[in-house]
Amino acid sequence: MELVILLAMNGLFWGLIVALIALGLSIIFGLLDIINVAHGDFFMVGAVLAWTIIQHVDNFWLAFFIVPLVGLLLGAVVERIVMRPIENSASLSIVAAFGLSLIIQESVRATFGATPKRILDPIGVTVPFFDTSYDVYRFVAAFISVVAIGAFFLFLHKTKFGTWMRAVRQNREMAVAMGVPSNIVFMVTFGLGTGLAMLGGVVAAPITSVEFRLGLDVLPICFIAVIIGGLGNLPGTAAAAVLLCFMEGVVTSFTEPTTARIVSLVLMSVVLLLRPEGIFAERKR
Amino acid sequence: MRLLNFKKLSSLDLVGVGLLIFLLLVPYVVPVVLNDFWVNIIAELMIWSLFAASVNLLFGYTGLLSFGQALYFGMGAYGVAFGFEYFDLSFWPAFLLGVSLGTLFAAFAGIFAVRLTWHYFAIITVVFSLIFYFLAVGTKELTGGDDGLPISVPPVLKFGQFELSLFDLTFQYYFIMVIVGLAFYMKWRVLESPLGRAFVAIRENDKRASLIGLNAYKIRYLSFVLSGLLASLSGVLFCLFSRYATAQNLFWTVSGEGVVWMIVGGAGTLFGPAVGAALLIVLREELSMYWEHYLLIVGVIVIVVVTFAPHGIMGLIKDLLGSRNSKLTGSDNGELLEKQGGTGNE
Repeated sequence: MELVILLAMNGLFWGLIVALIALGLSIIFGLLDIINVAHGDFFMVGAVLAWTIIQHVDNFWLAFFIVPLVGLLLGAVVERIVMRPIENSASLSIVAAFGLSLIIQESVRATFGATPKRILDPIGVTVPFFDTSYDVYRFVAAFISVVAIGAFFLFLHKTKFGTWMRAVRQNREMAVAMGVPSNIVFMVTFGLGTGLAMLGGVVAAPITSVEFRLGLDVLPICFIAVIIGGLGNLPGTAAAAVLLCFMEGVVTSFTEPTTARIVSLVLMSVVLLLRPEGIFAERKR
Repeated sequence: MRLLNFKKLSSLDLVGVGLLIFLLLVPYVVPVVLNDFWVNIIAELMIWSLFAASVNLLFGYTGLLSFGQALYFGMGAYGVAFGFEYFDLSFWPAFLLGVSLGTLFAAFAGIFAVRLTWHYFAIITVVFSLIFYFLAVGTKELTGGDDGLPISVPPVLKFGQFELSLFDLTFQYYFIMVIVGLAFYMKWRVLESPLGRAFVAIRENDKRASLIGLNAYKIRYLSFVLSGLLASLSGVLFCLFSRYATAQNLFWTVSGEGVVWMIVGGAGTLFGPAVGAALLIVLREELSMYWEHYLLIVGVIVIVVVTFAPHGIMGLIKDLLGSRNSKLTGSDNGELLEKQGGTGNE
């Protein structure tokens, strides 16, 4: 029973980080219609930058401020240079994102190295938990994720720019006609999505090992969350991410982690086939 | 023989004929000009061309972007490996087992997958392939997991003392070439048939196609199974060529590479995917000799091609030759790409 609770908590906290990354994927998908297969690699870059910052200034917490800003900038530049010229073709953008993914992974392998590295728990305090102990950092990580997700939704609904983003998503021509600078909205959206992924990378860095292939495993689970939550349904995406990882945590306590992953994939197939608009969507028509 | 009807011979066909002559001569010319190693590279390249062709049949002709062709590729490989290692089959029964296993998987997955289109289709195909990837990783004692299951390949043909074996590299080359050639011929015949026209009709506008009496679900399903057959055939060949089967064959990055080759070469053209696969694999082999991090350059090239030649290299060649008559597709594949982008919001 203790194991179940422990793994369920791990799953829940991991789910909050995944929610952060999946939200980034979802806004890029919803607004720019790009299936961004490089999104997992941006997550990985976030973790690698966190490691680099620790090496140079020995302060992990600094990464929380620097890395999302780097992500915002990097994403905006990528949108302008790589995605803008092919903005009307979803299939070309998948391929471009695949090329981007190669570039990112290989640059990290060239500079950071191929061997996985670990980041020491930045708090290093544990609380007693039944017979074992539990890292306080995981609570902090969950808290930071929740705050970031909250800030993101506030930005989307309470600021002028957030309103622009929602307007462009609903009807681009109309938004442009009303004076919304859609090109800037696209750049910032991609930047914001990338920033969320990289922030997720920082939060996750002390929990996982840091290596250049880190994004490959995260990407599918983020896509699952986006689909199960419903395409473009941002609260649905976040909820689906948390639910999925929580469930995987619980299932892992009974069987192998791979079996847990298979269960969530099968679940997702069923959702896709029966309710392609996502489990949280209201029934239309 | 329509192939020899010179009036119908377009510049693209000439490229194909040139390619055929080149491929026939490879085992004799390439070792002299380069070295033996390149004969193997070209053999591998033909296998991946077939894999890219399978992605192309679905996307280029039927308008369904599959990110899960690796499933049928990997199952073909496992089929033939299991045939040798667990059932002690001789060459051809194991070969058939591999092709049937992959195709059966496609026949089953297709029932569900083609109920969906565009984004949803892309994602359900990748989900199906991931399910079996994790299953293969989880059953390591059976499948060898990520480390792979090495196989020993029995002779292809044996009459008393005389035997033909894949250990003879020249024979292996021609063996792969004949099988891939037959598969491309089959694909071409299907595309020229009324069924092939139906694929394109569904791709262009499935509502109108339904109105003239085409069953969109059935036609997409047939395309899916045929494409699964091509993918499993390439998987069988790759397993025989590399002498092992691994769970890595099923991972989504393999499917992704197929998509990249197809788009870079030119979606919706018969030889486009082969050209894309050839370019990127030759680049890989050339660059990897000089620089460990050659994938950086490959990534840049992929982005540059997509940006400046959105119809792929075949589109570029067509533009250069000034002939825009792609008789196989019936329309410019640029329309296909734009249409896919346009309907993405549905």
